[in-house]
Amino acid sequence: MEKIIQFPWHVPFGEFTLKLDPLSLIFLTAIIILTLCAGIYGVGYMRSYQGARSLKAHAFFFLLLAVAIGLVVTANNVILFLCAWELMSIATYFLIVFHDEKPSVRRAGFLYLIATHCGTFCLFLMFFLMARTAGSMDFTVMAHTTFSPALAGIIFFLAIIGSGVKAGFLPMHIWLPHAHPAAPSHVSAFLSGVTIKIGIYGICRVLWIMGIFPNWCGYVLLTIGIVSGVMGVLYALGQHEIKRLLAYHSIENIGIIALGLGVGLLGRSYHQPFIAALGFAGALLHVINHAIFKGLLFLGAGAVIQKMHTGEIDKLGGVAKIMPLTSTLFLVGALSICGLPLFNGFISEFMIYFGLFQGVLALPLQGVVFFVLGILSLALIGALALACFTKVYGIVFLGNPRSSIETKGTEEVSAWMMAPMFLLAGLCIWIGLMPAVMARLTFMGGNFLAHMEPSAFYLGKILNPLSIINGTAFVLLALIIMLVFVRRWLLGKEPMPTSETWSCGFTQLSSKLQYTSSSFARPIVQYFRNTLLFRRYGGEVSGEFPQKAQMSSHVHDASEDYLFRPVFTRLRNLSKRIDEKSIRYTQIYLIYIFVFLIFLLVWKMRG
Amino acid sequence: MVLLFSPFFLGVITRVKAFFGGRVGPSVFQPYFDLAKLFQKKCVYSHTTTWIFRAAPIVVFASVLAVSLMIPFGAFKAPVRFSGDIFLVAYLFGLARFFMIVAALDTGSSFEGMGASREAFFSCLSELTIFMNFVTLVLVAHQISLSGMIGAEIPLSWKLMGPTLLLVVSSFFIVILAENCRIPVDDPSTHLELTMIHEVMILDHSGVDLAYMLYGAAAKLFLFGGILVPILLPIHTGHGLMDTLIFVVGMLGIAIFIGLVESGMARLRLNRVTNLLLIAFALAFFGFIVRLWRG
Repeated sequence: MEKIIQFPWHVPFGEFTLKLDPLSLIFLTAIIILTLCAGIYGVGYMRSYQGARSLKAHAFFFLLLAVAIGLVVTANNVILFLCAWELMSIATYFLIVFHDEKPSVRRAGFLYLIATHCGTFCLFLMFFLMARTAGSMDFTVMAHTTFSPALAGIIFFLAIIGSGVKAGFLPMHIWLPHAHPAAPSHVSAFLSGVTIKIGIYGICRVLWIMGIFPNWCGYVLLTIGIVSGVMGVLYALGQHEIKRLLAYHSIENIGIIALGLGVGLLGRSYHQPFIAALGFAGALLHVINHAIFKGLLFLGAGAVIQKMHTGEIDKLGGVAKIMPLTSTLFLVGALSICGLPLFNGFISEFMIYFGLFQGVLALPLQGVVFFVLGILSLALIGALALACFTKVYGIVFLGNPRSSIETKGTEEVSAWMMAPMFLLAGLCIWIGLMPAVMARLTFMGGNFLAHMEPSAFYLGKILNPLSIINGTAFVLLALIIMLVFVRRWLLGKEPMPTSETWSCGFTQLSSKLQYTSSSFARPIVQYFRNTLLFRRYGGEVSGEFPQKAQMSSHVHDASEDYLFRPVFTRLRNLSKRIDEKSIRYTQIYLIYIFVFLIFLLVWKMRG
Repeated sequence: MVLLFSPFFLGVITRVKAFFGGRVGPSVFQPYFDLAKLFQKKCVYSHTTTWIFRAAPIVVFASVLAVSLMIPFGAFKAPVRFSGDIFLVAYLFGLARFFMIVAALDTGSSFEGMGASREAFFSCLSELTIFMNFVTLVLVAHQISLSGMIGAEIPLSWKLMGPTLLLVVSSFFIVILAENCRIPVDDPSTHLELTMIHEVMILDHSGVDLAYMLYGAAAKLFLFGGILVPILLPIHTGHGLMDTLIFVVGMLGIAIFIGLVESGMARLRLNRVTNLLLIAFALAFFGFIVRLWRG
């Protein structure tokens, strides 16, 4: 099931060839769903800026981004792919810097621009290496070429760095937690849901083209997945701002996807087609699932921020009483992202787990060890994500407001913003309860990446457990309904008495006494303080009659503060020194360029 | 089966503790009376709470009951068994935990927040241990379903992989204590709120809701016991009644043993609980290594 469309295009080496194969189909599904939802939501969300700034440019770049991404996943030619990739990166930049009056936003946008171009540079190198060996810029031709193991290793590394920057693998993720919160919420949803997945698409495409990788590549991918997943969720736990927290969760989910891809790649390297298909299919299903629930969560967070005028978790509270519908929809997203049964996150995690356990039974020793590490980290990620989302949901939506918020009863956002959230929540539950359609689709993609013929036997081996899960989910629902009726029967119709929360005899309750997000996450963050660089500032109380004291705690991002910042500071100092010493005039720059051109000419003539 | 026997299990533990405390103690059927009493009472709700608080007991109880479908009891085969049901078991408990924590935060009380925060933390470590044990059992039995893992192959495995299974059993026992909030992790009988985890989270529930929560907790303990007993007593007579009898005896043994542990130990300081859980994980990990080493 492949479809090729060609248009005339007069660019050297370029061909305007679009190809629709299972891989692009899966990514297109996610793109279409989220473009639709984020677009509709954006109409409502941007209303408040009407007149204040030009919304036309914003709408233009949003649509440009959607088209560019669509082109990226269907392009069948290197030049077209790279053009679309650049178009996508630049459109994204303009969407991020919508609030360009704020210095932090401009900084985030610039950081993004640098990061994405570093990544694109690696992709250029990678594709030209591939094209040189294959003798063609066409993906299909490349796929029929055999590459030497050494070259495959280099290409793998370039792919991991080039696409990893976009996807947000640790430690190349540093732009992500700055850029995603800076953008308007529907753009954040689109960025987290779709744009970073294009990094994953890049890796998938390379995995498909190359066919054979050395065994260690699979281990590297698996390890990257484990590290990104665990560290992403740990960093998320330490965040105080809701959109920043969600951005770190994207890193976690990208980690889960990379883990799945690693499982698939190892399965392929060890000639275990079922494991390969499961790993790839699980990863691809998680791509779609993450687009849906992360989109939902960002849209929900946007609604809260618009109404409450703050995204600081510790200042919110009790939002469920003001925005009951939004809070319920956010709950659906939270349950999905924790991978709990009845919701879609569970299905994809189930497939990856299943692949991992199959691998434990079938692979040689070192494979078993790595797969067990994968299982353990997936379990840890699941438990930590649960801690993180109970924190977000419990602190933001439940309890009492932590700062005075002026509201008049319930106050929901407009229908423009509500409808997309309903659609996404519906999709979460649909995939969670009836996974067969999506499982079939992604299993097809898994087969495609595993380079194996579609096999009904393997498909049945995964669809069978899924259908039983399906049945169990309905049993669970039936049990819930039964218990509701039992409760109603026991309690009767009259309303129950209400009173204050029991506080063990203490009567001077105020909303400030409630647990905050920092205190909720503290045991975990404290436990990992050396990995997370968790620091507390202040908080000592002294003297017989203690005066006012202040305490703040913060989780530092190690790769930002200790890896990239020193390197870039050095680089800047170096370039400054060169600048001061020699280059004062434009003419000298021109001479440098001239000398370089002559060097290139000589080099070319020699070759 | 679960509904019928789980409070009894709890009653036995209390009775054993009372015996070692030099008291007569309540009847082993006391938990039934407690539940019956709660089922007749009305609920009181805080102004702060939303529908989450009312829904949580239902979801908690329902998901524990759904798990019970996947665990065999003596001669009763598990009604639901398939390759990969262990993930469903683990994540259904996760669903229960999610709602428990969220309901605790719903009250806006700092006590319940404290309990919720601890529960979230400790469950991370016990989840890790559970999955480590699952991996070892999968490697021993070459099956990815719970019924298969603790099923017919176990007697043979004891002969071949005795040390591995011993390590699995001991680490799983610590997990039982931690997940079900028994001493030395948590004290189910005190009402000193600052030291508790599970009890403090359900502080504000009352009436039918509290009954659901407590019933769910009792059933969860029973289910964990139900996973452990077939590994410990791998005797299959082929006779339905005998098998069930053996299972019941095993469950009683575990209940008595938990009672003994609770009588013999003090509750650990909270910051030492992590060490206990890490010990459990280390035991599980050694079990895995021994399994690999034995080939």
